Amino acid sequence: MVDFNVVLAGLTDAFQLTNLLFVLAGVVLGQFVGAVPGIGPVMAMAIAIPFTFVLDPLPAIGFLVGVNKGGLVGGAVPAVLINTPGTPDAAATALDGHPLAKQGKPVKATKMALYASVTGDTFSDLVLVTVSAPLAIVALKMGPVEVFALMIFAFSIIAGLVGNSLSKGIIAAALGLLCATVGLDPEHSTPRLYFGWFELYDGLPLASVAIGMLAISEILRRLASTNGGMKSAIEIPVAQNPEDMRVRWVEYWSCRYTMLRGAVIGTILGALPGIGSTAAAFMSYASAKQTSDDPQSFGKGNLHGIAAAESANSAVVGANLIPLLTLGIPGSVGAALIISAFMIHGIQPGPLLFEQQGRLVYGLFGAMIMANFINLFVGQVGLRFWILVVRAPESVIFSSALLLCIVGVSMATGGLFGVSVMLIFAGVGYLMTAFGYSVVIFIIAFFLGPRFEISLSQTLVLLDGDVAALVNYPIAIVLLLLAIVATWWLGFRAAARQANKQPA
Amino acid sequence: MDRLLNRSSGLFFIAFGIFLYFVVIPYDTESVDYGWVRPQTVPNAMAWIIIIAGLAQLIRPTGSVSADIAKMSRAAMHLLIVAGGVLAISQFGFRLVSPLLALAIMLTVGERRPVWLALGVIGIPVLIWFVVAVLLGRPLP
Repeated sequence: MVDFNVVLAGLTDAFQLTNLLFVLAGVVLGQFVGAVPGIGPVMAMAIAIPFTFVLDPLPAIGFLVGVNKGGLVGGAVPAVLINTPGTPDAAATALDGHPLAKQGKPVKATKMALYASVTGDTFSDLVLVTVSAPLAIVALKMGPVEVFALMIFAFSIIAGLVGNSLSKGIIAAALGLLCATVGLDPEHSTPRLYFGWFELYDGLPLASVAIGMLAISEILRRLASTNGGMKSAIEIPVAQNPEDMRVRWVEYWSCRYTMLRGAVIGTILGALPGIGSTAAAFMSYASAKQTSDDPQSFGKGNLHGIAAAESANSAVVGANLIPLLTLGIPGSVGAALIISAFMIHGIQPGPLLFEQQGRLVYGLFGAMIMANFINLFVGQVGLRFWILVVRAPESVIFSSALLLCIVGVSMATGGLFGVSVMLIFAGVGYLMTAFGYSVVIFIIAFFLGPRFEISLSQTLVLLDGDVAALVNYPIAIVLLLLAIVATWWLGFRAAARQANKQPA
Repeated sequence: MDRLLNRSSGLFFIAFGIFLYFVVIPYDTESVDYGWVRPQTVPNAMAWIIIIAGLAQLIRPTGSVSADIAKMSRAAMHLLIVAGGVLAISQFGFRLVSPLLALAIMLTVGERRPVWLALGVIGIPVLIWFVVAVLLGRPLP
């Protein structure tokens, strides 16, 4: 168990002015990019990671967490105002947020989104703080065979849930694992698939692959769809009734059960790898509607609808870090980017993290809690400003983002070779998205690839190649059985349902 | 149309997997004859998985497709512009090329307003230079 002194020291670190300022900067940047449709916190995190090289680990990771959290709040602004979610998970917020804005209450709608988001996020962070250390102790008792089985289980859940087609999910995961094999193989240290480029001896640079597939491919998609004109924002009334510009305590308190249910749904789904905040938001919205006394009012500007969606999608962020910190398995692309930031700073996420870097982990927890309060404060002050951001032209936003990606990857990889790799993966990511192959699965598989291969190798050595020896590892057997059930339940069944829905 | 495109992508991945298994992996992976997981084991396994999943996609296509030839052509054009820009950066440096690259991108998406053009072409590259070279003290490409 982590020493209490370490916990206190970590939390104290989080309250240092420098660290707080970086969290603040992350939240401001996150809310800004969240408010711009098309960029979003994931792209912003991908671009920002190389710029955090020069920072110490805590301010760097606190900054990225701030971007992630701020992005979820900012994402609700365009969803409410122009029915164009800044982030996919804000789509559920738009269902009631936009009708409320059209009723002349855009500020009230965005403020409700802010309060619900901070409430859900804080709940999820508290669960993370209390649950992750005991879980890490359990995880430490797992050997290579159990870790290998756990990775198979994680893959089965990710492949089944993120993609809407099992075969496409499997292909995306296989491509990610294949790309992870570029460079020296972990058992024999012999080079493979490097095509004569010695820069690839260490493998494909994670920054190039992640930024290429997540940021550049999305920018290309948006550039191909834009016509240079500004998006038509809704008319925001100049003189609003003051009552329509704030959320009264009674209104907030009346949503407490809705927000609590959303936070619980978001926390549970967030702790499972691969499900994501969009599913949590819609699930919470649906359950709020089902249990409401007035379900007909949903979709027409009901505050409960906004509260349900925002509390759930924000609760996913904290819970996503549970598998990351305890097992080293990223539950989402955002978590995969945070894990890459850990590794850039020479820190290996996983159960040993609590033993070796306990102070940093609790510093991160402190930074996350502070980020919630900062999110609330910045949101209160900044919402009116973010409303203006929605009107920024895409031409400026995306040309700037392209330049930042080039500079960022060049800094991260030490030259333009990494930028070339980024452009290749931008093309691959664009084509994969166009043909319905999940880029998210690819990135997570690419990240897990080296560890998967090492644990496979260790497992075969321990079992001496005899699968029957698995009987000595009951936890691994349970995990493998769960993987089979998950693949059948989430993959084959879902694929069959979809095939039945598709016209011949 | 979706089914046809899904089948085509399945066919592509079958061909890709076969090409990987018979050409790329044997040619570009050093073979080792000991150990449980050899350098070619995982790549070969992935090639087989891609072939089998591609076959499944060919026989029973599932999932949505949003491929639009016009948009894909525009995306390819933008990718080529950026690739050209990166090539130019390698020759002339970021400071000289970045305003031109930003201008090219903004013009191709139809931006014609002088103020926004000035912001994208002058303001943003100067801001990047200031943050990277001055504040962070790192060299620009």
